[in-house]
Amino acid sequence: MASGKKQITQLAQKLFKLSFVDGRFSEERVAGVLAYVEKNPHAKPVAVLRAYSRLVAVEVAKGQAVVEHAGPVNDSAIQAITVAMTSRYQRPITAIAKPNASLLAGLRIRVGDDVYESSASGQLAALAASV
Amino acid sequence: MISLPVLAEVTGQVAEATAAHAASVNPITEITHTFGVNPAAIIGQIVNFVIVAFVLWKFAFKPVLATLDERQKKISDGLRYAEETKARLDSAQQEISDTLKKAQIEAAAIIEQARKASKEVAERETAAATERANSLITTAQQAIELEKQKMLAEARTEIARLVVATTQRVLAKELNDADRSRYNEAAARELTSA
Repeated sequence: MASGKKQITQLAQKLFKLSFVDGRFSEERVAGVLAYVEKNPHAKPVAVLRAYSRLVAVEVAKGQAVVEHAGPVNDSAIQAITVAMTSRYQRPITAIAKPNASLLAGLRIRVGDDVYESSASGQLAALAASV
Repeated sequence: MISLPVLAEVTGQVAEATAAHAASVNPITEITHTFGVNPAAIIGQIVNFVIVAFVLWKFAFKPVLATLDERQKKISDGLRYAEETKARLDSAQQEISDTLKKAQIEAAAIIEQARKASKEVAERETAAATERANSLITTAQQAIELEKQKMLAEARTEIARLVVATTQRVLAKELNDADRSRYNEAAARELTSA
């Protein structure tokens, strides 16, 4: 069972490596990989595709900065965030706005596993934790 | 009563008559004849006396003397035994007295030792009880202090939670889009400059 999971993970990682062109994630290669999997089905294709999807999602998340916000955010702010994150991570990062009323006011930016936050709810939570 | 001069006169006459007769016959023969002494009878009496004396010695005196000696010996033995018994009794009494004195001294020492040990045990028990009581008091004080700190922490947390919840509700109601926009711009500047 464990060896089966290991094989699925290894296959998903191989497929994931094939999804890059010159070190950049390529949508065309992803389409090619999916076509290959469709033509040459594995014993457990759903599991392989699920593992591959997780890896792709992580990679896509690395190239995206999800900007959660409460209230309106102007485009210049989103653009500034894109530039700043691209500069910080030394790779192209696209900022995507996502409303989140629970923040009350302010922003929370997620890039992969990294989170940057400057929001009223965050400050209140920090205040509650410090008491 | 005859007076002394008369008696002396008679005695003198008799002596004179006797002296006269003796002068005419052998005196020994005359004496034996006069007193009726028979030598054969005397010898027979002597033999009889010796026999009787021997028989008496053999069958009367000797057993009696032996019995007397035996009784004397028994008496002396009894006396010696009594003396020995008395001496032994005295010795035993002395020994008993010494033993009693020794026992009294030992008993007094044992009592003193027991008293001392009892006192030490009591002191030790008292000290242990005091230590246990102090330990219990300390533990109770620590528990009370911990409980107090815990209650204070819980109270602080609860108050903070209530303050935050209230502030969140107030902010959610009171902030308008313009306020949020200004806040978002400031946040964007802060996050991009860091």
